[in-house]
Amino acid sequence: MKQSNPPTLQTLVASGVLLLGLGLALGAVSIPSAAGYGGVGPNFLPWLVSIALIICGAFMVWESRTGGFRAMDVPDGVAPCWSGFAWVSAGLLANAALITTIGFIFSCTLCFVLAVQGLRGAEGKADLRPIKLIKDTLIGMAIAAPVYWMFTKFLAINLPGLTSTGWL
Amino acid sequence: MEIFNQLMQGFATAATPVNLLWCFVGCALGTAVGVLPGIGPAVAVAMLLPITVKVEATASMIFFAGIYYGAMYGGSTTSILLNTPGETASMVTAMEGNKMAKSGRAGAALATAAIGSFVAGTIATVLVTLFAPIVADLAVKLGPPEYFMLMLLAFTTVSAVLGKSTLRGLTALFIGLAAGLVGLDQISAQARYTGGVPELLDGIEIVLVAVGLFAVAEALHAVLYEGKAVEDQNRLSKVHMTQTDWRRSWPAWLRGTAIGVPFGCIPAGGTEIPTFLSYAAEKKLAKKNVADEFGTKGAIEGVAGPEAANNATVTAAMIPLLTLGIPTSNTTAILLGAFQNYGIQPGPQLFTTSSTLVWALIASLYIGNVMLLVLNLPLVGLWVKLLEIPKPYLYAGILIFATVGVYGMRQSAFDLFLLYAIGVLGVVMRRFDFPTAPVIVGMILGPLAEAQLRNAMSIGEGSAIVFVQRPVSLTLIFVVIAVLVLPRLAKRWSTQQAIA
Repeated sequence: MKQSNPPTLQTLVASGVLLLGLGLALGAVSIPSAAGYGGVGPNFLPWLVSIALIICGAFMVWESRTGGFRAMDVPDGVAPCWSGFAWVSAGLLANAALITTIGFIFSCTLCFVLAVQGLRGAEGKADLRPIKLIKDTLIGMAIAAPVYWMFTKFLAINLPGLTSTGWL
Repeated sequence: MEIFNQLMQGFATAATPVNLLWCFVGCALGTAVGVLPGIGPAVAVAMLLPITVKVEATASMIFFAGIYYGAMYGGSTTSILLNTPGETASMVTAMEGNKMAKSGRAGAALATAAIGSFVAGTIATVLVTLFAPIVADLAVKLGPPEYFMLMLLAFTTVSAVLGKSTLRGLTALFIGLAAGLVGLDQISAQARYTGGVPELLDGIEIVLVAVGLFAVAEALHAVLYEGKAVEDQNRLSKVHMTQTDWRRSWPAWLRGTAIGVPFGCIPAGGTEIPTFLSYAAEKKLAKKNVADEFGTKGAIEGVAGPEAANNATVTAAMIPLLTLGIPTSNTTAILLGAFQNYGIQPGPQLFTTSSTLVWALIASLYIGNVMLLVLNLPLVGLWVKLLEIPKPYLYAGILIFATVGVYGMRQSAFDLFLLYAIGVLGVVMRRFDFPTAPVIVGMILGPLAEAQLRNAMSIGEGSAIVFVQRPVSLTLIFVVIAVLVLPRLAKRWSTQQAIA
């Protein structure tokens, strides 16, 4: 089987699994056993999962150092578009940070506009002209606003708004 | 007779205008979700889980089931026209259906897929109607040791047997189990892995993980790696089957159904095995002139059989979900989450405690199948238009729906940060070929399995011997060992044969 990712990256991922297992084991130490009548307490599964992840992580580190992860699909070899990733990430994180301040509609519209720029850039069609940005903003709002109204007005599910009217 | 009466009562509930509307909206939304790349039934149901707060249980379960079924119908359209299977279930359809489309027979491929799905879905629904109550009656006799073993079987098949790598499958399963550990232990109320964050005391929402792993990860993966990908769309021809197509299709539909149903019934999830088996069977049974069409210009049997097998499996998967409370795929795991949101635990008691809901749900499967046939045959051209939505708008729009799904569940901005982190994790998992189904199944089934394990151990007075003392539990242990060992032995045997 052809190797699909650089071994260093594979080792990094495998080490992440190993570290996760170790972190969970560390957390399991502080969970009381309190096994009671059944002999299995609230710390049993945490220990089991920790040990299993440590073993899996160790095996994966070994695989990554001896020819790479086994039975993997060969990747397409496309270079990742990090700038596009940064745009989409910025959209998602801005949404998380601002949703309670500027409300669902504006926050989601901002996320939409930023994500569109990233995705368009990844296609090699980056276009930051104001007219395009206005169009993207209007489309974003045209999706976010009805979704907001459907949830707040029709389903009475609480979503943050800029005002307390449930419309904006 | 009792089953018939209950089914009729189910129809009476499901056929109220409101429930019919939910069923229709679910089927239409499911078809759209199936057609659109980047979003599957699991994530669509997950994003809409907040509606469980307000919408009545029967209506929302009918709605979610419609999405689940609709996506299976819609998925074949994308596979045939674009050769981009949205899920593993449509992989085989993509293989042969796309070949047919390239030979100018897209219409026949779409027709046999839709009618085959209808035939298989209907037969499987009849079987669900007949056998689910019987399985429920038998399941009442099962105790915690047997339930734990059944869940262990589900874990084993979903992680160690179905994926390409057992190691990565198991890693994904344990990551899911770890996510399920966060929050208060349901037996002792002991906080675990909350790190002092109050939002984590209630645990991590399944919606958050499903939407992060599928929707957000899909958008991030698309921007990172798929920007320059060029899709070649086949032309849609008239959706019509000739007499020869009918003659060749119907035995394949029936064979596909016969292969699919048993796979759906057992907690050994996934549609990969039955669809591939059906494809292999059709290829093997094909006469010389038909066999030549496989892989060249596309054989209609290669679409009809696997599509029927797929729908039969998906429908029959309702049996373990409703009678045992065991999900065997991403979507059924999230459907289980929907039941739990209503405080309903699927299992053998469901047929007595929530009889109206269950029978209305089963009746809605019949209604949904008819709706989907109408939605997918004459209206297929309409769905194909969805493929014209520019990718940047599609993925960015999905992010808005992801936000509403996750925020609507707990009204927590913290969850949106977590959503991003899980999305990044999803990209890493996808890039390094980790399966995602074990994460979801592990997360949702983990706490249930833990409770069953601890109850079983209490029955055994702290001794694990209880698992081998009970015949059903012991048999299940052997089944678990068999599903772990037999495929490996078969693989080794076939390798040795190839060398020899």
